[in-house]
Amino acid sequence: MMSDKMKKDPRLPDETFEPFEETRRIPLPVYWIAIALAIWGVFMLVETSHSTQVADKARAQLDKQEQTKTAQVSAPDPAAGKALFSDNCATCHGDAGEGVAGAFPPLHGSDVVKLGGAQAVTEIVMRGIGGPLNVNGESYDGEMPAFGSVLSDKEISEIASYVATGLNDGTKTISASEVADIRKVSGDMDPWNGGAELAGLINGLPAQPDAKTPAAKGPDAKLVAQLVNEGTDTVWSCASCHGEKGEGLETVPRLAGLPAAYLVKQLHDFQKGARFNDSMAYVAKGLSDREIIDLANYYAGMSSPSGATPSLQGDLKRGAQLAKEGDWSIGVPACFTCHGPSGIGVAPEFPGIAAQQPSYVAHQLAMWAGGARHNSPLGLMAGISKALSDADRRSVADYLASLPPVPGSKPADMVAMTTSASAAKESSNDQ
Amino acid sequence: MTSKHPTDLPPSHTPKPSRGQTTIRAILAVGGGLTLVVLGSLAVDYGLAPSWLTGQKPVATAAAEDGSGLFTPPDESTIPDDQFGQSVRRGMAIFNDTGTNAHDFVGNDLSCSNCHLDAGRQAYSAPMWAAYPVYPKYRSKNKMVNTMEDRIKGCFTYSMNAQGSPSGGPPPYGSDVYRDLQAYFFWMSQGLPIGKKQEGAGFGKIDKPAQEPSRERGKEVFAANCAVCHGADGLGQKDRNGKQVFPPLWGPHSYNWGAGMHKVDAAAAFIQHNMPLSQPGKLSTQEAWDVAAFIDSHPRPNDPRQVGGITVEDALKKWHHSHDGFYGQTIDGVLLGTGFPAENQAAAPAAAGDSSGG
Repeated sequence: MMSDKMKKDPRLPDETFEPFEETRRIPLPVYWIAIALAIWGVFMLVETSHSTQVADKARAQLDKQEQTKTAQVSAPDPAAGKALFSDNCATCHGDAGEGVAGAFPPLHGSDVVKLGGAQAVTEIVMRGIGGPLNVNGESYDGEMPAFGSVLSDKEISEIASYVATGLNDGTKTISASEVADIRKVSGDMDPWNGGAELAGLINGLPAQPDAKTPAAKGPDAKLVAQLVNEGTDTVWSCASCHGEKGEGLETVPRLAGLPAAYLVKQLHDFQKGARFNDSMAYVAKGLSDREIIDLANYYAGMSSPSGATPSLQGDLKRGAQLAKEGDWSIGVPACFTCHGPSGIGVAPEFPGIAAQQPSYVAHQLAMWAGGARHNSPLGLMAGISKALSDADRRSVADYLASLPPVPGSKPADMVAMTTSASAAKESSNDQ
Repeated sequence: MTSKHPTDLPPSHTPKPSRGQTTIRAILAVGGGLTLVVLGSLAVDYGLAPSWLTGQKPVATAAAEDGSGLFTPPDESTIPDDQFGQSVRRGMAIFNDTGTNAHDFVGNDLSCSNCHLDAGRQAYSAPMWAAYPVYPKYRSKNKMVNTMEDRIKGCFTYSMNAQGSPSGGPPPYGSDVYRDLQAYFFWMSQGLPIGKKQEGAGFGKIDKPAQEPSRERGKEVFAANCAVCHGADGLGQKDRNGKQVFPPLWGPHSYNWGAGMHKVDAAAAFIQHNMPLSQPGKLSTQEAWDVAAFIDSHPRPNDPRQVGGITVEDALKKWHHSHDGFYGQTIDGVLLGTGFPAENQAAAPAAAGDSSGG
């Protein structure tokens, strides 16, 4: 009876059941993975702490070397001079200072260097030079950027001494302290105005062509300066963000020396919304076509020292490789293939990129890669930026920041009212 | 009697393992963990781990068997630091800036690296590593067996238009220019078998176009895709210091009528595989043929073989009958192949520009 009562009806749920958890052993593979991860973690900790120690040591050593270097101000090191020459000068003047016929004057066996010595070389390196110039009876009409803002006194002394005594048979070198004295006087001056002005510095220089007279400043020059420095009721001043000399700061770009036509196009793109930036869209919409052209010409003609320094912890060697040779294994041609040797720019579509603010460059590359900026001709920058890793972008931005600034454009490269309007229209049709 | 059903019993806990069992398990756990670490590091060492995991780029092997089957030439940093290495570096400098480093023998504004991209390393832009191991070879162009030196001499003669150079001709046999260039090519081709045709050689193949190439369509393709760099007039662009940045595609400072690139099929293949720079393959087969026809139907310097009163008609029969080009045709009222009289060099760009209007 009892047992019959107790007998469960299999159709009913078991009311006496109490849930329980069985204690099972943790399977062995879980232990394996946990232990492997722990070992790997400890290994990585030791590994990275070791490498940071090495880096710290190397940095300390470098600092020490730098200090001892600046301490001995006397004799510039010719080997260092040669290395600096090949990094900074050889791109244009050639590895042996042989120059390029018709474009870049020779430094090896040059009458200017022979007569002016290391001191004249320092003056030219510091300020840059533009306009007609005769060297060894050949005439040149190029523009050399001012290296004063990107090279230290010590570095300039080594380069100038190498050019005077290594590439020519001069005997007098120049010390870092003498360079510092020259910097005090001429560090902020405009580039030398061709051979004519140089003749005042170097005694007995053979006949030099007449200097080009600087373009007469139009009646609007004052208005433009006001726009740049003070702004208007509706538009704040350019200089408040881009700096007094248009040198830029962090993600605000350098404008000095960029092609006028390029600047006009960018401002129009901001107006139309083809390039996005809230501040710039507001400013550009507040500008008339006339003002845009005047501003573009103003900045295009500006020669300013570099306001950029490598600051993104990029690998400068990798950056130099990308800029000079490219990395074809990822489909990226050299920056300089289109932006010109040393990033000087090729008007109107390819702006100068030398001495551009590294944060700005890295930021723009990221925007192109992501599609937020898409106003480059043929969309060339999109594909290139996508192919670059984040580290590559920082590296190339830092390398470009280490270059001397692009000098101001010649008046001939300025935009006039009519042509620029049609040029802007044309280029917008390309998109 | 309340005998409970077995299933109603409170859960029976597994008996506590004995000490010995725990030890064995601990040994097994630690041993297995160590084995995993060893296996993992071995996998990384032998490159079996995927690159996204290790953050390392796969190492390029000499005859890259990475699926593309293309040879990867050695890195510039591996150029040795000795006399040979110096020659290699000089060769590379000549290759990349021919007008500066072989100044006396260059009669136009081009460099070797304008067509042989990435310093002669890029597949399908006639890479030098594919060319070097197949010389000497017989060429019907000059009906003789050509050494690499003969071949480079041909490049100077035609593509670099040496007739307009300061010396008036290509480097003489035995010149250091050949020595250094060959050292560069040899260094680049290390590890490749002699005489074997490599994938990526020349400009690659291009299909025949569906329609006969059209200069008119080509003109539009050019304006939309090429003009931004090569200029609306095709004469290239210089930077403000007068240094050539974008090469001229026609006119007095481009390759002459004897250069391989004047053949429309060669130009079309090059264009489709390499242009616009960084966007290879952007143009369709038809577009590549059309724009090649447009580019190669403009005036350019004379064929240098055409001396001693040889007329365009003679030259056409002798050298230009068997290939795909515009030599000897009259386009927009200009007989192509008459070159630019030396004294008219300054006026020539205007003439070239005019004819592009067609």
